[in-house]
Amino acid sequence: MRVALGLAATGLLRAPLRTLTRVLVLAASVALLGGMLVFVGNSLRTVAGTAVRSVPLDWQGPVTSYPQVLKVAAAVGRQPGVAQSYPAATAPLGGAAHTGPNGSSSAGAGAILAVPSDYPSHMRTLRLLQGSVQPGGVVLDQQMAATLQAQIGDRVSLRTGAHSRPVSLPVSGVALVTAPDKLFAPLNPLLGPAPAQPPANVAIVELGTFARLLAPGLPSTAQANPTSGQQPGAQTGVGWQVQVQLDPVPLSAGSPSSALTLATETKNRVERSLPGQVQFVDNLSDSLHTSAGDALYAQTLYIMLAVPGALIALGLAYLAALGTVERDRRDLALLRARGASRSDLLTLAAAESAILGIIAGLMGTAAGLGAVELLVSGGAHASTGRALSTAAVCVALAILGAAAARVGAIAAVLRTTVTESRGGVRRTGRPLWQRLYLDLFALAISGLVYWLTARTGFSAVVNPDSNPTLSLSVYMFLAPALLWIGATLLLVRLRGRLVGWITRRAVGPRARTPRGLLLISASRRAGAINRGLIVVGLLLAFGVNLGIFSATYDQQATVDAQLTLGADVTATAAPGVAARQDLARRVASVTGVRAATGVEHSYAYVGPDLQDTYGIDAATFTRATSLRDSYFIGATADQVIGRLRSTPDGIVVSKETIKDFSLNVGDLLRLRVLDQGTGHFHVVPFHVAGVVQEFPSAPKDSFMVANLAYLESVSHAGGPNVIFASVNGDPPTVAARVATATRAYGTKVDDISHQSSRTSSSITTVDLKGISQIEEAFAVVLAAAAMALFTALGIAERRHEFATMAALGAPLRQIGAYLWTEAAVVLGAGILLAGALGLALSEMLVAILQHVFDPPPDALAIPWGFLGALIGAAVLTTVLATLWAGRGLRRLALGEILREQ
Amino acid sequence: MTAVATATSTLTRCENVEVTHRQGEDRITALRGIDLDIAPGEHVALWGRSGSGKTTLLHVLGGLVVPSAGRVLWRGEPLSSLDAVARGRARAGSIAYVFQGANLLEHFSALENLVFALSVAGPPAQGQSAHSPEDLLALVGLGDKLDSLPAELSGGEAQRVAIARALAQHPQLLLCDEPTGHLDSATGVRVLDLIDALAQEFGFALVTATHDVDVAARAERIVELRDGQIVKDDRP
Repeated sequence: MRVALGLAATGLLRAPLRTLTRVLVLAASVALLGGMLVFVGNSLRTVAGTAVRSVPLDWQGPVTSYPQVLKVAAAVGRQPGVAQSYPAATAPLGGAAHTGPNGSSSAGAGAILAVPSDYPSHMRTLRLLQGSVQPGGVVLDQQMAATLQAQIGDRVSLRTGAHSRPVSLPVSGVALVTAPDKLFAPLNPLLGPAPAQPPANVAIVELGTFARLLAPGLPSTAQANPTSGQQPGAQTGVGWQVQVQLDPVPLSAGSPSSALTLATETKNRVERSLPGQVQFVDNLSDSLHTSAGDALYAQTLYIMLAVPGALIALGLAYLAALGTVERDRRDLALLRARGASRSDLLTLAAAESAILGIIAGLMGTAAGLGAVELLVSGGAHASTGRALSTAAVCVALAILGAAAARVGAIAAVLRTTVTESRGGVRRTGRPLWQRLYLDLFALAISGLVYWLTARTGFSAVVNPDSNPTLSLSVYMFLAPALLWIGATLLLVRLRGRLVGWITRRAVGPRARTPRGLLLISASRRAGAINRGLIVVGLLLAFGVNLGIFSATYDQQATVDAQLTLGADVTATAAPGVAARQDLARRVASVTGVRAATGVEHSYAYVGPDLQDTYGIDAATFTRATSLRDSYFIGATADQVIGRLRSTPDGIVVSKETIKDFSLNVGDLLRLRVLDQGTGHFHVVPFHVAGVVQEFPSAPKDSFMVANLAYLESVSHAGGPNVIFASVNGDPPTVAARVATATRAYGTKVDDISHQSSRTSSSITTVDLKGISQIEEAFAVVLAAAAMALFTALGIAERRHEFATMAALGAPLRQIGAYLWTEAAVVLGAGILLAGALGLALSEMLVAILQHVFDPPPDALAIPWGFLGALIGAAVLTTVLATLWAGRGLRRLALGEILREQ
Repeated sequence: MTAVATATSTLTRCENVEVTHRQGEDRITALRGIDLDIAPGEHVALWGRSGSGKTTLLHVLGGLVVPSAGRVLWRGEPLSSLDAVARGRARAGSIAYVFQGANLLEHFSALENLVFALSVAGPPAQGQSAHSPEDLLALVGLGDKLDSLPAELSGGEAQRVAIARALAQHPQLLLCDEPTGHLDSATGVRVLDLIDALAQEFGFALVTATHDVDVAARAERIVELRDGQIVKDDRP
């Protein structure tokens, strides 16, 4: 092996320029993969970290009594991996009253949360706006404080039931309960997390005070029937629970899958250490499970977009290896003639590949890390370990790539006998895949899968009701993968016959003019042109596909963000505040706001299903946000909104509801609506005004839209709790102005840009921007390199021919025209191929991911800027490389070359 | 001898030509102190062993190699001091080569090889007759091989196409480098006969580089080379 290494090193040093070219090409190829690895690794850690941070309450363990909750919380808190463990309790609130200088006011039913005094400092379920949780006091939820018109120091009386004895406590603070759906959800560890409507009023009491003053009058509900808590207000007793937050650092160190495994292991260990004492409802695992699915989808998407580019880039390495193939072939033939066996030659090839691979792999790692650092916001975050593992993968890939290119280039020598290889005899006959027509088979299967996907609406992505998740099947990427493979193999099979046929048709039977000679030469070199076309065309197709898909993805992410948020800018306020302060008008008057409208978000029961219900002002809604016709079924957006406007008790329901309850437009629909005044649900008649499948700010599953005035008249919820605003300028800037203008009313202002960057269970989960920037940069560089290599290879292959032309007295311009012609043919055909294949691939990817795109795009977005840069880079490189090659022609050592036989 | 006299009586002339080139760290002298003139229509054989400098001298005469020292005059004009473009222009219309391996343009048919040479040479000078590529190929006996690619031709046929291609350049000087080197003896003789006949018919000067005594003997003048120097110039 040492001898082989020495021989290989000598051979490489003998042609330093060609060796450098091979190293650079290999390095560029593996840099793309290395950059992708680094990015995907970072991305997965980000997804895991975001999922961990997004869960306000990791575990909730119901227990039976106050002493038990104290004991278990303390024991859990000592377990490794647990960051916080608090005893807590929830209980029904029958009502509250406050008598102040302005008279008496009361609040309806709600819930009591009992926590230790230091709870708000360490847990993310509530945020203290004023004051603190103190023994003997009560902290009121912001809305309840507003309803009771109570301030810190005032005394309020709380009743746990309609007829129970009131307990008077001083107000020690005002808080915003940020995770009421978790805090007051029914806890059944066997069923896992269950959605529940948050209570309208929340009073927070110090745990000891609660145990002493309020709990004694209530039964414990820890072992209650899990369905008992599904309806708000149905909780009848005290729910003691241990609330736990895990240490986020180890959970965020890897992928969502590894975080899920770690979280599950920790939960099992903690439960085992307290046998029979506690079992947890695992909100964290629920979130991580969704994120793991998202991450799997993201990884597949990254791979689907990046791997073809990297593989084609390795084709460049083959082109680069071809540059030295004649010299290599002669050297190897000589070695075989001197007795070297095939295994000796393979050892030599392996040694050379190892040298090239190690150098190129290390360079590729540096380039990949550099690209991520430079192009991705947040940088590469490459620790020594990650850099080393990336380098190991890159070196291994580069060695494999170099070996594949080398063996491919010298295959003839390895296959043939000594005599044949010295004479340069090449293999004839078609390979097995051509005889089996695997290329056409792959294209047919690809088309079939696409047809099934597009025509039948089949999709591997499913959105189960109430818990939107993505599940992945290999099937979904079969169509584009087979299109790549089939198109590449078909190009190999054609060997440029199409180019040859077209040029021969243009020239006629015999070339008699200089132009005819150029074309006939190109037609007879169709195989070589095809080789360039495969690499250049497929690289450009990779770029086109990437650009179009990324642009469409970004476009839909923005649409999705608007759909998720509701409008360009939203301002959320406590119920009653928006109506009292006329927030819609105040927001509308902010500079940059085009229009604003108030929306009430509440809940109502359709049979046993609790659904989000939106009250809108049909007259102003469409000015403040955008509605697409595709959001509705059976009518346009204008028609549905018009019908709603003309039907005061009209309601637009989702298609699932229409189907489940056999409804038609105009039918009576009785809903149970929560009356915030009484805290109880009561039946209210509505009439179906339309069918909806998407709506701004609505969830992906069932929901309803009604007239704000009618809804308010039956829910007494205090009017809109969110203001939608459309803007003319930059959403974050306008959002900042809106926040300033409404700060006094305790609003929370959001904007579409902020929403786009947020992780959610939708297409916006995956930030494609980073990787598409890396890949687009590589696509431009590799396409340029491919054209340069093709031109350089043209000179290398035709040097004897060009020297003969020069010996005949042909001017350099005339000889150079042969290079220009071939470069133009490859570039032109490559652009055509890239346009067709790139567009088809993008169309396929979008069709396959139609259920991920929410809503599906009306048309593909074409990134003209990027495509211009891509084609421009290829054209510019072609011009520069051909000019450089032309200068090389001038320096051809004619005497020396013409002696070569 | 006056310059005018030189210009009229000599087609090409080498004056103290020296060619050296690098091989690694070493400098190899391929030609040294070459003084040679070729008259119009003259048939000269450059004879010597392999490595004696025959091919290099042939390349110097055609302007393919620029001498390291001395000069080459073409029809009284300095050829070796011209740039590559001007040397190419000089070659295109009057100096033709027939190489040992034919060196046909591999992606062109026999006819297209001639079309290419004609396109490079341009129209014939006044007094020279224009020949179509078909005529020239018929002249060398390959009227039925117009559309054959070089790979489809035998060695003798390829060499005849190379000769026809040379004729397409309306040469005043034909430089043949071991024209029978790759051919069997019978085919080689036929090719040499053809070249001689065409030289007679078209009146161009013919310089043939060969190591074969019999081939050299066909020339009216034999110049013997050894180690890059002319050791004998056997003028008739």
